[in-house]
Amino acid sequence: MRCSSYGLIIPGSESRFLTTTTTPTTNKKPDRFPRIYPTSVSFGSLKVKAKLNDAAGGTATATAVVDESKELSFYDLLGIPESVSLVEIKQAYKQMARKYHPDVSPPDRVEEYTQRFIRVQEAYETLSDPGLRALYDRDLSMGLHLAFSARRRQQNDDFQVRSEWRNRWQSQLSELKRRSMNKDAGGNISWAARMRRKRDGLSQEL
Amino acid sequence: MALSAFSFPTYVSKATNSGPHKSSPVTSHFFGAALFSHFSHKLDNHQLKKRPNGVCASLSERGEYHSQRPPTPLLDTINYPIHMKNLSIRELKQLADELRADVIFNVSKTGGHLGSSLGVIELTVALHYVFNAPKDRILWDVGHQTYPHKILTGRRDKMHTMRQTDGLSGFTKRSESEYDCFGTGHSSTSISAGLGMAVGRDLKGRKNNVVAVIGDGAMTAGQAYEAMNNAGYLDSDMIVILNDNKQVSLPTATLDGPIPPVGALSSALSRLQSNRPLRELREVAKGVTKQIGGPMHELAAKVDEYARGMISGSGSTLFEELGLYYIGPVDGHNVDDLVAILDEVKNTKTTGPVLIHVVTEKGRGYPYAEKAADKYHGVAKFDPATGKQFKSSARTQSYTTYFAEALIAEAEVDKDVVAIHAAMGGGTGLNLFLRRFPTRCFDVGIAEQHAVTFAAGLACEGLKPFCAIYSSFMQRAYDQVVHDVDLQKLPVRFAMDRAGLVGADGPTHCGSFDVTFMACLPNMVVMAPSDEAELFHMVATAAAIDDRPSCFRYPRGNGIGVELPPGNKGIPLEVGKGRILIEGERVALLGYGTAVQSCLAASALLESHGLRLTVADARFCKPLDHALIRSLAKSHEVLITVEEGSIGGFGSHVVQFLALDGLLDGTVKWRPLVLPDRYIDHGSPADQLAQAGLTPSHIAATVFNILGQTREALEIMSFKS
Repeated sequence: MRCSSYGLIIPGSESRFLTTTTTPTTNKKPDRFPRIYPTSVSFGSLKVKAKLNDAAGGTATATAVVDESKELSFYDLLGIPESVSLVEIKQAYKQMARKYHPDVSPPDRVEEYTQRFIRVQEAYETLSDPGLRALYDRDLSMGLHLAFSARRRQQNDDFQVRSEWRNRWQSQLSELKRRSMNKDAGGNISWAARMRRKRDGLSQEL
Repeated sequence: MALSAFSFPTYVSKATNSGPHKSSPVTSHFFGAALFSHFSHKLDNHQLKKRPNGVCASLSERGEYHSQRPPTPLLDTINYPIHMKNLSIRELKQLADELRADVIFNVSKTGGHLGSSLGVIELTVALHYVFNAPKDRILWDVGHQTYPHKILTGRRDKMHTMRQTDGLSGFTKRSESEYDCFGTGHSSTSISAGLGMAVGRDLKGRKNNVVAVIGDGAMTAGQAYEAMNNAGYLDSDMIVILNDNKQVSLPTATLDGPIPPVGALSSALSRLQSNRPLRELREVAKGVTKQIGGPMHELAAKVDEYARGMISGSGSTLFEELGLYYIGPVDGHNVDDLVAILDEVKNTKTTGPVLIHVVTEKGRGYPYAEKAADKYHGVAKFDPATGKQFKSSARTQSYTTYFAEALIAEAEVDKDVVAIHAAMGGGTGLNLFLRRFPTRCFDVGIAEQHAVTFAAGLACEGLKPFCAIYSSFMQRAYDQVVHDVDLQKLPVRFAMDRAGLVGADGPTHCGSFDVTFMACLPNMVVMAPSDEAELFHMVATAAAIDDRPSCFRYPRGNGIGVELPPGNKGIPLEVGKGRILIEGERVALLGYGTAVQSCLAASALLESHGLRLTVADARFCKPLDHALIRSLAKSHEVLITVEEGSIGGFGSHVVQFLALDGLLDGTVKWRPLVLPDRYIDHGSPADQLAQAGLTPSHIAATVFNILGQTREALEIMSFKS
């Protein structure tokens, strides 16, 4: 029961958060949120988080090679320690590829060896790109072992990410507006607040 | 109609944000493509499938690159930002596309900074649409991304003169246009200057906006934090736009691939972007505040504040703690979003300092740039259709490369040699060093001050640090050089590249002052190679000097073609000893650094007039070769010191010695040749040298003038090759 997308979101619950997606107009008041029932959602997220942690942190209950390899980090898959250079990654990948390639795998274990080979290849693709590797290392330190394909799916979720961003900055903008009303209240003694009061005081006199 | 079906099958199914504006791109691009399709080259189709939505609207995204000027019907109507005010958002998008095509075309003809300009096209359009430059001040940090800004602010017709003599500067320049509010070239100055402009506006009682655009690379410098800290304290209204493209070092790649950003800040910024799980909890908090809301304003605000701080990811709280209101991240290539946000912030009466975190992609819109490891940061002239740069081949390599090779050779023999640079791996050649010794090369981000003191710390532990910092960037770290290195006599070696005039980059990058400010320090050994072989020897000399700091300077450009020492390993020179290259009489030319080559050329010019000069290479400015100078002064009528540096440098040290030694009390005449007392504008190196008066002709003419042969002097000067 592993979450396939990168974010810790229950697949079904997304609809509760994302309402409008394509309106390009400017600041909308965040009045679409009242539909949320906070308590149940937060429980749900915690549950999913817990499940992921179990899956990622603990050793697999299944004993097959395939299941185990899902638990392994990319470094384990290639059989290398975490701080290796590109050259060593290449070598390790070549070794693993030679071992698990469908053409050279023993006939009775072709299926699982192929699976393993695919994972090894994902591991190599991620680790050989310094940018992706940096991201992966960061995730690893946060306790999430994710297959490369999951990340690729996440990258394809561009549109969704962008609309999330849009929601976020729209709420930030409304917060800014709210704050600006109190900005020059008497309590604010910053230099600019004093200047603004003076300037507004002058213009009011005129 | 058949033509439109052929050309634009993808347009009809456009599924992006601009829902109501579907029909427009077909009409505008249909016309353009139909007319010019037979001039253009098309890319492979699979390159067009990069965008997840599958549709490319722009000229450049469709892969048509024109060796002639691309069609830009809308851009042709815009000369100044005021002409943009009546455009609709759809037209702004078209403008952005045309602007992109124009930038690619212009840079392909002149060379320059491409990737960064492409990344801020939409941002530039949005800024000029929402704000009213020049009354509203828009500042661009570093300035190399201002090509679209210059096109939109009345300089489009001069874009073909970019970075050339008497042409447009490659950075912003106040004297060039009133739309360039502040001169830039070195990084991380825009927030400071912007705050100054905001406070000045407040003091004068004006009401314009101030916007400072700064990149995530420039954010690694301390000055940006000093400015933000002060901005948060003063609380003056201003907008800081953080242009985040995850490219922190230059070039944006090592020899083997892209560089992951240096420093902890970049990962904080990444976390901000991928905040999904945390956002949910924030929404929960918002829901709670909504429920308490109403008359309980204060409490609701507090809850939200705490939620923000606790949950919003460690990046934004950094800016919030400094006192800037954080908005973002925002898609920097979406004109809709940018215009909406900027408009909102502009119309909010009192904001204090606001930071808008904009995410862009360097090189966006030009597939070759997007795919290149260095994102086409700085390019020579290239062919837009294929992306191939026209690099001229030279017989010799650059001084930068020779320095890197020399340092590698030293490091092979001595495992204590380490190299430090400030986000300039390619520019200093240390990418080569990094490849060979990955654990001994340190990139500290744009932080020259830290780099110097960091090197000082390394020297304390017995290592041999080589700080490779451009001569003009060293100006930033001067106090650290004096106080942390020289005062304590720590053996830090400074390799100052781009010494002297630098050509197209102009006075902001010109290394005129390093001889002056290094040679006045009591403990510093100051030397300069006259050719690449000398450079190898001086690297070895610097490695050998272990009891005091040392520095050496070398210019931009390629070597002259002398034989290199075997195995790239130089031999340490005797400190404080120069050499005589040509023995002559009456007149002696004492050169420092690569000016010696000009002296040799001058002496060749004068040979034909029957004069045989002495040419000497001083090698060391500090300690001076006293014996050499004494012998030159005693056996010649005229002594001319030549250097590519400002007043107060090598020539001044020589004359100081002459005076104290009593040599000026006799018959010798001393004349200095230095850079003039003004800033020399960008241009070709030959033009700059001519303006400075340091060409071989000038040196020869000076000799004639002193000898009283003024007619010959004029002849030589008018006979310019």
